[in-house]
Amino acid sequence: MGGFPVETRPESYPMEYLASLLHLTPETFWMLVKVIIVFAGPLTLAAVLTWGERRGSAMIQDRIGPNRALLFGRWRLLGLPQLAADGIKFFLKEDLVPQDASKLLFWLAPMLSFVPAMLGFAIIPFGRSFSEGGHTYHLSLLDPGNGMGMLYPLAIGALAVYGVLTAAWSSNNKWSILGGMRASAQMVSYEMAMSLAVVAVFMRTGGYDPQQIIAAQAGVWNVLPQILGFLVFYVCMFAETNRLPFDFAEGESEIVSGYHTEYGSMKFALLQLAEYVHITTAAALIVTLYFGGWQVPFVADPPVLLSVAVFLLKLLFFCWTFIWVRWTIPRFRFDQLMFLGWKVMLPLSLGNLLLQAFLMHRGA
Amino acid sequence: MAVLVKKVELNWLDRTYVWPVLKGMAVTMRHFLKQLFTPTSRRFTVAYPDRKRTPAAGYRGLHELKRFPDGSTKCVACFMCAEACPARCITIEAEEYGDINKTQGFNEKRPAVFKIDMLRCIYCAMCEEACPKDAIWLRTDYEQASYDRLSMQFGKWDLMNTYADQDGKPRITEDPTPTVPRFPLS
Repeated sequence: MGGFPVETRPESYPMEYLASLLHLTPETFWMLVKVIIVFAGPLTLAAVLTWGERRGSAMIQDRIGPNRALLFGRWRLLGLPQLAADGIKFFLKEDLVPQDASKLLFWLAPMLSFVPAMLGFAIIPFGRSFSEGGHTYHLSLLDPGNGMGMLYPLAIGALAVYGVLTAAWSSNNKWSILGGMRASAQMVSYEMAMSLAVVAVFMRTGGYDPQQIIAAQAGVWNVLPQILGFLVFYVCMFAETNRLPFDFAEGESEIVSGYHTEYGSMKFALLQLAEYVHITTAAALIVTLYFGGWQVPFVADPPVLLSVAVFLLKLLFFCWTFIWVRWTIPRFRFDQLMFLGWKVMLPLSLGNLLLQAFLMHRGA
Repeated sequence: MAVLVKKVELNWLDRTYVWPVLKGMAVTMRHFLKQLFTPTSRRFTVAYPDRKRTPAAGYRGLHELKRFPDGSTKCVACFMCAEACPARCITIEAEEYGDINKTQGFNEKRPAVFKIDMLRCIYCAMCEEACPKDAIWLRTDYEQASYDRLSMQFGKWDLMNTYADQDGKPRITEDPTPTVPRFPLS
């Protein structure tokens, strides 16, 4: 114990102690930890989601699902080794680029769709902030008060369609371009309703910082007073993540495989992974905006680890609902989607905004 | 011809679309939970190499040439099965044998060659239907695969022994009654 100054003893300030082991300031150390968490977390979740999707859909359809891949030829582990098997397979596949494709964009597109998907999670607070030895540690990659708030994930989310569109356009394939066009049309028609739903949340909170939004939900989660806004936002999230019932970018029965028809090997895996990371981010957004983020029901000031666990639980539940809904509802027709977007979702969202404004006016 | 499309009147709750979706999700969740808590042995899907399905009583699997308790074949080489076979996969060569009726010479008939080309067989059990002696049965074995074509040509002794182990009968490789009479004609 003699080696350390009093204030960096392991038991008094574990964070500073750990930072001092790496010769870093606590801020830098915490930022490093957060970067690792925010990067590895959604990726791991996405991997688990692919497993959940395959096994879960199997259970829903009274099947068994993938269980043939064994770890070291022995352990079945509920089919989890399938993830590793898929990964290895994708890495070892031949990497084909169609002859008439635009090579540069064709290579760029998977990254263009993957990177925004990863970026979105940076703003989400995944646990209660805590103080230790004069430092405050926030559990989100971007600290509160950065001026972007919840506008950031919305902006980043809108970027995701560029990946899809680039993939579609660069493939030089008719099916692909149809998928890309549908994706962009869908994005345009749902973005507005989604943003207006979120604006209602901002209005009630009086700010758009996620920490503020979560703090405002200490008593009642936003989902209760804003059930309409939640429904609109939730439906728009399906459109945003290109999931069934709105997966028009890759309608298998209509346009082969949509924007990733020409993709193979790891590029395809990256596009697929981006979709699942999108689901994670979308679920995190729903949890943060409408279900109190890391707030624990009936616990006023939860311990940090409990708050993280509860956030993770909510996150996993909403990830599961994405899978659950996918295997429940068949795909819409494209004109029905447009109808729903412009004639139902947008008026609903606007109405919700006006209703909230009216209620606030009455309350004030 | 006009087709009458029946218009379905939806009530206001169903027209919200939210409630029907929730009902649908309840259905899928029920299936999910039911399947999740059903032990693997009782699920609809039989995980084949690990578990095997017991074929139903009328299953038409691999053939067996039936035999009498003394080991002689029931088949009398009447060619009914070969005639009935739509795939034309049965080849029979008959022979005469016997040592009972010495005055009239050989009078019993049996197949010297009874061959089924399993690559051609369609397992329709027409041979079983046609057989007057119930000498050929299609039974429960459905695992027939091989690395070469020749091993899918089942001969007489293969067909006599297909279910020998399963039924606890001895495997036989020759007829109890020789083709040449044991008692020479005098």
